[in-house]
Amino acid sequence: MATSEAQQEGFTMPELEYLAQCEDVTIVPLHRMERLELVRGAVGPFRPPQKTQVPLWLAVMLKRANRCRIVAPAWLGADHLRALCREEDAPDALFTRLPPHYLEIAHALLAVAEDDLADAQAVRRLLQDLRETRQTKTREGLKLLNSLQLQMDNLSAAEINEIRPLFGRSFDMLRRLDALAATAADRAHRGSQLGPADDSQYADDADDDDFAYAR
Amino acid sequence: MAGAYYDIDDILAAQERVPCVLQVDLDGLGSAGSGGASKVHRNARWALPLWMADGLNEEDFVAMEAPPVFSRRAARMYAASPESIQLRAVSQHFYQLGLQLGDMVPDVPHVLRSMYTQRVQRIARIAQQGHNVETLDFVQSLDRTEAELLRLCQRAQGAIAAWQQGRAYALRRAPAIQ
Repeated sequence: MATSEAQQEGFTMPELEYLAQCEDVTIVPLHRMERLELVRGAVGPFRPPQKTQVPLWLAVMLKRANRCRIVAPAWLGADHLRALCREEDAPDALFTRLPPHYLEIAHALLAVAEDDLADAQAVRRLLQDLRETRQTKTREGLKLLNSLQLQMDNLSAAEINEIRPLFGRSFDMLRRLDALAATAADRAHRGSQLGPADDSQYADDADDDDFAYAR
Repeated sequence: MAGAYYDIDDILAAQERVPCVLQVDLDGLGSAGSGGASKVHRNARWALPLWMADGLNEEDFVAMEAPPVFSRRAARMYAASPESIQLRAVSQHFYQLGLQLGDMVPDVPHVLRSMYTQRVQRIARIAQQGHNVETLDFVQSLDRTEAELLRLCQRAQGAIAAWQQGRAYALRRAPAIQ
């Protein structure tokens, strides 16, 4: 197969990073520039010191060329992150709200626009804390594993990707075991003189159950 | 017997032997069974691979029985301490085998299910925290399904860290232009 094993199991991190490049960030241009017609739509015109929304990849490019200043998103401030950390640490707390690509955006901004972030060192440290807390929580969440659903709100794309193989595989196995239990019970109910049940039939039943739940 | 046609683990699991009781007299097949006699009588016990036993069972040549690893006694053992069972020693394809003949013994799916749920959590913990001397026994007791799961989880867990350190990119500068 042409795709690598890592790609078969979900996204790779560079792929997720690529997706995150399309998220909008706010910049303050440092030079006048006309509107840019991009495939996804037009951005600009750039009139300093007017703030503009541009995709992350463009912001990174302009920043590298020293043509803009990136306005750090509100959630990437040290104070906000500190509050999130506290919230996240509280017992029985759900996952805190963060953009689905927060790790990737933070990574990109910390790499090119460190000077635009207030207290970049603290931000870096807090992000790491936050991630570790969330990781522990994800693991706790897996205790609720069953064959129907697993609910963890506000998990980011990279974090979902991290548990994807575990969740996907075990979900599959549990579903198969449940279907088997259903046939075994069914057969015990009908009496053992009957032949083996039609396999395709119980697979359909299991799918119907999942579907009904999802609705 | 339900299995995925192309799944190699499914195929390998079908190689596991299950005890069977012969239902007919067979002439000249003594060498295939346990005895050396040229004739095998009905009610002789044979351990046949699952793929063969299943077919012969359908045709009523043999009566298939639940293998000892799925007996009631074994089930009690699995329920008592799911994390300390040496599954690899019991069977390399324990879950696959269970899936293929689990509906022969009514309790098996439930036993397997609770066992799997508990062991998967331990696997998740090991994947996140890395394994050490304490977890060594457990890691060595995993059957193939679980070992594969652990490997995939470890890879997925490492992905974010590797990316943050800039090791995740497939494109590298060629040695010639370095």
